[in-house]
Amino acid sequence: MGRPPAIILRQVSKEYRRDQIRIPVLSRLDLTVAEGEFLALMGPSGSGKTTLLNLIAGLDRPTSGEIIVHDLDLTRLSDSQISRWRSDHVGFIFQTYNLIPVLRADENVELPLLLTKLSRRERRQRARTALRIVGLEGREDHYPRQLSGGQEQRVAIARAIVTDPYLLVADEPTGDLDRQSAEEILNLMEQLNREFEKTIVMVTHDPNAAKRATRILHLDKGQLVDDVTRAEPSPPKVAESAASGDPPYVADLDTARRQEARL
Amino acid sequence: MKFLGYILRNARRNPVRSLLTIGSIAVCGFLTVAMLSLFSSADQLREEVKGYDRVIVMSSQGFAQPVPIALKNEIIALDQARGLNAIARRAADGKPLISPFSWFGGKYKDEQLSLFAQFGIDPDVFFDIYTELTLPADQLAAFKARPDAVVVGRKLAADKKIAVGDKFPLKGEIYNYDLDLTVVGIFDGPENRDLRSCYFNWDYLNEGLLSKASGVGANNAGTILIKCASTALIPPLCQAIDQATANSDRATKSQTEDAFIGQFAEFTKDLQTYINLLGVAVAFALLIICGVAMAMSMRERTREVAVLRAIGFRKPQILGMVLAEAVLIAGLGGLIGTGTALLLSKNWDAIAPLTMGFFPYLRIPPQVALAGIAGSLLIGLIGGYWPALRAASIPVVDGLRKVV
Repeated sequence: MGRPPAIILRQVSKEYRRDQIRIPVLSRLDLTVAEGEFLALMGPSGSGKTTLLNLIAGLDRPTSGEIIVHDLDLTRLSDSQISRWRSDHVGFIFQTYNLIPVLRADENVELPLLLTKLSRRERRQRARTALRIVGLEGREDHYPRQLSGGQEQRVAIARAIVTDPYLLVADEPTGDLDRQSAEEILNLMEQLNREFEKTIVMVTHDPNAAKRATRILHLDKGQLVDDVTRAEPSPPKVAESAASGDPPYVADLDTARRQEARL
Repeated sequence: MKFLGYILRNARRNPVRSLLTIGSIAVCGFLTVAMLSLFSSADQLREEVKGYDRVIVMSSQGFAQPVPIALKNEIIALDQARGLNAIARRAADGKPLISPFSWFGGKYKDEQLSLFAQFGIDPDVFFDIYTELTLPADQLAAFKARPDAVVVGRKLAADKKIAVGDKFPLKGEIYNYDLDLTVVGIFDGPENRDLRSCYFNWDYLNEGLLSKASGVGANNAGTILIKCASTALIPPLCQAIDQATANSDRATKSQTEDAFIGQFAEFTKDLQTYINLLGVAVAFALLIICGVAMAMSMRERTREVAVLRAIGFRKPQILGMVLAEAVLIAGLGGLIGTGTALLLSKNWDAIAPLTMGFFPYLRIPPQVALAGIAGSLLIGLIGGYWPALRAASIPVVDGLRKVV
């Protein structure tokens, strides 16, 4: 692979219990994801994609096995420690955006920063920077209901990157979007992967979305059945509104990152 | 503090539900604070009158049964004969400070009910006994000089737009005799005294009953009011009076003024007990209301809470935010309820006439106001705890799957 591993799964199994019935979802799964990789998880419904994503993101715990992310064994962390880890290192992008309807766009983006020691001014500044990166400058004061689906998802992406996490997890990020909005979101994710070197794990049913990833994993019945690494990802189709990686935005995020490192 | 904005937005998320919850707590808070303050005001008055060393002699059968006026002189004689010297005397002329104190219960002008207290007293000594009530000297002189004179309280004069010199007709309800009085003075006093009452010459009433009502009800003092020389002399005087009249058809019960007022408190004791019980039931109902409102609210936001948990909010933070929202809503209700009670107390003069003199004054003691607010906060805290705990405890993965 060349790059050091960001995520290592060793013999990970997951089963749920419903009443007295055991429902195996993942079975003795081994997986390594390199830093800066854009991984697409595909497979039929019930194949365990979202469960795997939840385990990698520390939202759920495996029944057995080890999950190591950036040298940290998530299975050994307490509930509080894993919450802290998520807030520091993981950004979430959901299919239905999951924005807080009573908060403005900038306030939604600012939410994860409430868990940091940043001042109100710094939080605001970072939220606005993140919104600029996703091409929503000027929409800071809009409530989710005043935005289109694509814009809502961009706010969600801004919320995911505002803490500058090393891992982004996305569960069907384009599932609720029209084709054009989906393209814009995928461009943005590609940009975050290539230019900001975010490791991205994305669950999708959409082959077009999966094509944007550098690696595609197919799951079926809790097992990895196919693993395709593409040498060159398809070229990004950058939409004008998606703030296609202008250096000032990169500089903004770098500045924000340095400020946080100083804290 | 940095979560406050989010908490406030959530509290306003469903305005109708929040307003209804706030309203129900406000109404109950208002009633509880107002009722507790009414009883507290009565207790305060009892405490205050203790310092005036007054004794009221009434029939042992109750204050509705009058005592004969002859008892007045007998008490003076008894006090001297026993060497008690318990009855205070006016410094200027040595006149014993003892007066009939007879409830008339008449209707003013064309009023349908007797809406304020009217007492027949001895004008010569009454204001020496009730020293906290003040009457200008010229008006006091007129009150003593003129048999058909009446003095009215400042608030009654204001309510009825009465001025000195006005006619003041009272239609007898208890007595078969109407009083045709003339206002000669307007007395004043502390705010918590009944300034919606009036006092007239007992002799004038008695002469009228003798000459024009065939003597029915005449020569009865109602009760007898005594100013004692000191607090220490009250018990022996009361004992002496009651012993002297025991086993007669005019047996008396003598007691301090605060004990006399306490009788009325006893009448409302059951009411107080019921109100206290009702208050407990209402508080329990409010807990349920608050809990249900928060549970509904959190059920609608299960997914949002899961998102918050996903992005790193910890259980105690979620618990704290939901509890803060519940406490905010309930506390706002408590504040509005207590604030309304305070407003009512400021404008009690408009309500007091309807209490027929029983509650002339309403003051919200700071501790009652604070208890009202603290109670509402507690309701928010307890009522919101279970929904908050549930919200904080839902596994993130389950919460994210939830579609509401």
